[in-house]
Amino acid sequence: MTGTGSERLLELAEAALGAGGDDVEALVWRQAGGLTRFAASRIHQSTWREDLWVRVRVAVDGNRVGTATTHAADPAAVRATAGRAVEVARTMPPDPGYPGMPGPATYPRAGRHDQATAAADPATRAGLVAGVIRRLPAGVAAAGACETRELEIALANTRGVRAAGATTAASFSILADAGSGTGWAEGTEPALADLDVAALGERAARKAVDSRDPRELAPGTYPVVLEPNAASVLVQWLGWLGFGAKAYDEGRSFLIGRLGQRVCSPLVTVVDDATAADTIGVGFDFEGVPKRRVTLIDQGVAAGLVYDFRAATGHGVEPTGHGLPAPSSEGALPMHLSMLPGQTTQADLVAGMERGLLVTRFHYTNLVNLMETTITGMTRDGTFLVEDGRVVGAVRNLRFTQSILEALSSVRAVGAETELAAEDGYGAARAPALAIDRFAFSSATTF
Amino acid sequence: MEPEELTELALAAAVEAGAGYADARWVREETEGLTVTDDRVDDLEAEDSSGLGIRVLVDGCWGFAASAMVDPGRARDLARRAVEVARASAAVDGEPVRLAPAEPAVASWSTPLHRDPFAVPLAERVELLLAACEAQLSVPGLTHAKATVDLWRRRTVLWSTEGTRVDQTVTQTGAGIEAVAVGDGDLQQRSWPNSFRGQYQGGGWEVVEAADLVGNAPRVAAEAVQLLSAPELPERMTTVILDGQQLSLQVHESVGHPLELDRILGMEAAYAGTSFVRPEDQGRLRYGSPAMSVTADATTPGGLGTFAFDDEGVGAQRVPLVTEGMVAGFLTSRETAAQSGGASGGAMRADGWGSMPLIRMTNVHLEPGQGSLDELIADTPDGLLLSVNRSWSIDDRRVNFQFGVEAAWEIRDGHLGRLYRNATYDGRTTEFWGSLDAVCGPEAWVVWGVPNCGKGQPFQNARVGHGAAPARFRRVHVGVGK
Repeated sequence: MTGTGSERLLELAEAALGAGGDDVEALVWRQAGGLTRFAASRIHQSTWREDLWVRVRVAVDGNRVGTATTHAADPAAVRATAGRAVEVARTMPPDPGYPGMPGPATYPRAGRHDQATAAADPATRAGLVAGVIRRLPAGVAAAGACETRELEIALANTRGVRAAGATTAASFSILADAGSGTGWAEGTEPALADLDVAALGERAARKAVDSRDPRELAPGTYPVVLEPNAASVLVQWLGWLGFGAKAYDEGRSFLIGRLGQRVCSPLVTVVDDATAADTIGVGFDFEGVPKRRVTLIDQGVAAGLVYDFRAATGHGVEPTGHGLPAPSSEGALPMHLSMLPGQTTQADLVAGMERGLLVTRFHYTNLVNLMETTITGMTRDGTFLVEDGRVVGAVRNLRFTQSILEALSSVRAVGAETELAAEDGYGAARAPALAIDRFAFSSATTF
Repeated sequence: MEPEELTELALAAAVEAGAGYADARWVREETEGLTVTDDRVDDLEAEDSSGLGIRVLVDGCWGFAASAMVDPGRARDLARRAVEVARASAAVDGEPVRLAPAEPAVASWSTPLHRDPFAVPLAERVELLLAACEAQLSVPGLTHAKATVDLWRRRTVLWSTEGTRVDQTVTQTGAGIEAVAVGDGDLQQRSWPNSFRGQYQGGGWEVVEAADLVGNAPRVAAEAVQLLSAPELPERMTTVILDGQQLSLQVHESVGHPLELDRILGMEAAYAGTSFVRPEDQGRLRYGSPAMSVTADATTPGGLGTFAFDDEGVGAQRVPLVTEGMVAGFLTSRETAAQSGGASGGAMRADGWGSMPLIRMTNVHLEPGQGSLDELIADTPDGLLLSVNRSWSIDDRRVNFQFGVEAAWEIRDGHLGRLYRNATYDGRTTEFWGSLDAVCGPEAWVVWGVPNCGKGQPFQNARVGHGAAPARFRRVHVGVGK
């Protein structure tokens, strides 16, 4: 039940194209994978699932647009779904701004499909979990997950688009609990074999032990070194808060009036690049447009937006390949964010801090003020006080309430190594560690 | 092939492969989401998803397998795969899972509907939302208007090797408007009846009609415009009254989640987190003031957590969680109930066919007190009325929280005064609930819907309800970071 083959998915998509109407598009998405979950050093939940999703979009009478979706995998069901999309389109009011659908294109090479990862069985995942748990130091328990998955996407439309791609992803996360302290580590790679789960387990366990008996620290503004996972949260939020052209057009972007201007430190460059060798994705967006590398922040200057087909047509520019399944109230989003690395090791970032905090990870971040790019969230699983360039002990977790742009304006140095990281599974971004001179912690918790 | 035949086939294959216990859930989920922005349909999503999920216990280890593509052969394959998954879990030693006894359920149930929302013509829905947007845009100074209607229906056929045979259909409907005002580098929003796409309840088109989107549109739009020129809420310690919308999320984050027994036992440690509450706190921990009583009630009409049976086939129940400020119980499953020596409270819910059930909130209510919101305001010499959630965050043991709301009105000498923008407040859970001194009465009590509660790996979404009436808290820190 694995490996349908993206070319076969393309055939399934093509089954929708005879539905009638002026334009027809079919997007097919298949995902299959397993996740082995552990807590208190035992496997407590383990799952495997496979889903296939076909979404048909039809335009009739020139600009009446309807969609319908099915999770069935046979051509007859896809044709029936296309028929429903036609019915929906006929009941919709005209959309004067309907831009049509993209035409055929050549797609960049993107993502990596690793057959061993696609075929990884539950025994393989459980074996990795067992190995990490066996190596935990005495007095340390662990929780986390090992996941392997395969994603295949195909898209066809009546304007001649035929796009198909496949990618794989493997991730391992571990929270080590040493009693009064916890530590955490996570890795994500296109191929399971590239994950060093033993090193992740050791890192989490070491952090847990070092986090024991945290001291209380008064909230306030401190210099910080954010490890890559924490830094990636800032990058992800920034991507969501203003780089989509539709959000910009509707006034829902912090970039309004700031494009071309300096918005943060010249040490900061952020790109969105699905074609990078170290990311996970395919070479086209959900409208069949080739994905392009877009520089969003160029050495501190707000440099560009991402466009879906509709916004690009409206602006008279080329779409950048960031469209979501259309029509979308959200518009385009950057989904392969990367902050470019600097040249300083993480150890040197810490060594350069007179008194401040080393942050492993953030928890439950949320938006406070869009235009100010202010978010709030907690530290967790390894928050350390640094004095004279050395970690001197753990502190109880703190809540930050901080403008991302203000934080990135006080970046002192950028780490040389990057990690592909996600916070709470809401997205992923590649980021280096960051040394930031001023980071505002508004309150503290009890552990 | 009928769902009952598929589930029966799957159960037989699971037992043959070595499962000591198995349940099979065939689920069909239909959704339709419509978004109108200003004068055009901005988004229309319609999905119809069905599939089969099989959960097995083999030698005390869980295994689960699910697929959208189901025929008799695949149903048997899925069952065998679930057993394979369970067997692999034995690679790590651990206490075998035991299930608290539960009487097998054999029943059918459906959400009562006045008008099936899926039968409401799309054109009628579009017309309503366009009118709601037009009514908002009639207010000078408004930048954008949005109006939404969301329909959701799930049929679950649950069979187990213990004899459970449940066929249940839950229908829920949501609707709302969002008025956005942009100017001078700021963006302000007011929503009705609630933020994040409105109010959701179990039921049909009557939920949309009750929201009166068009009638409320001018007021909501005017408040959004007023917020643009309102002062920022300054920092101070003060009395606050939370409206029901905001209070429902306060209950969700700082009461519902901490009292999930899987979190308390560490089963969600790596992702959603744990809880400051310990298993032995039942009957011993003071959670809040005597004005605080909280109940998990899956039988409440109109709740998003309302059903007849959970996804283990356990019947819907009303479970006291906090009684007059003392911890009285937890949200439980058959597995966690076995560990604590009780019976399941019926809180196991899965996000569709593709997910293992987890302990989720049902309808977690703050029980009403007495009096109206007007009376509560009149009884407050100095404070703030905080209205409708805008932002939320809480630590991984559910102690330190921070919320933002769309609007804050000053209360002076028992009357509402000036409007403030960008209002936030923070606190710690038991201190905050200890400061509760009044809850409005049944006439102000509404079952609010939270359709986007995240938990679990793989990520699962749950739709939960919270009955709440406006309530007053003393000495609250507001204006975080101002």
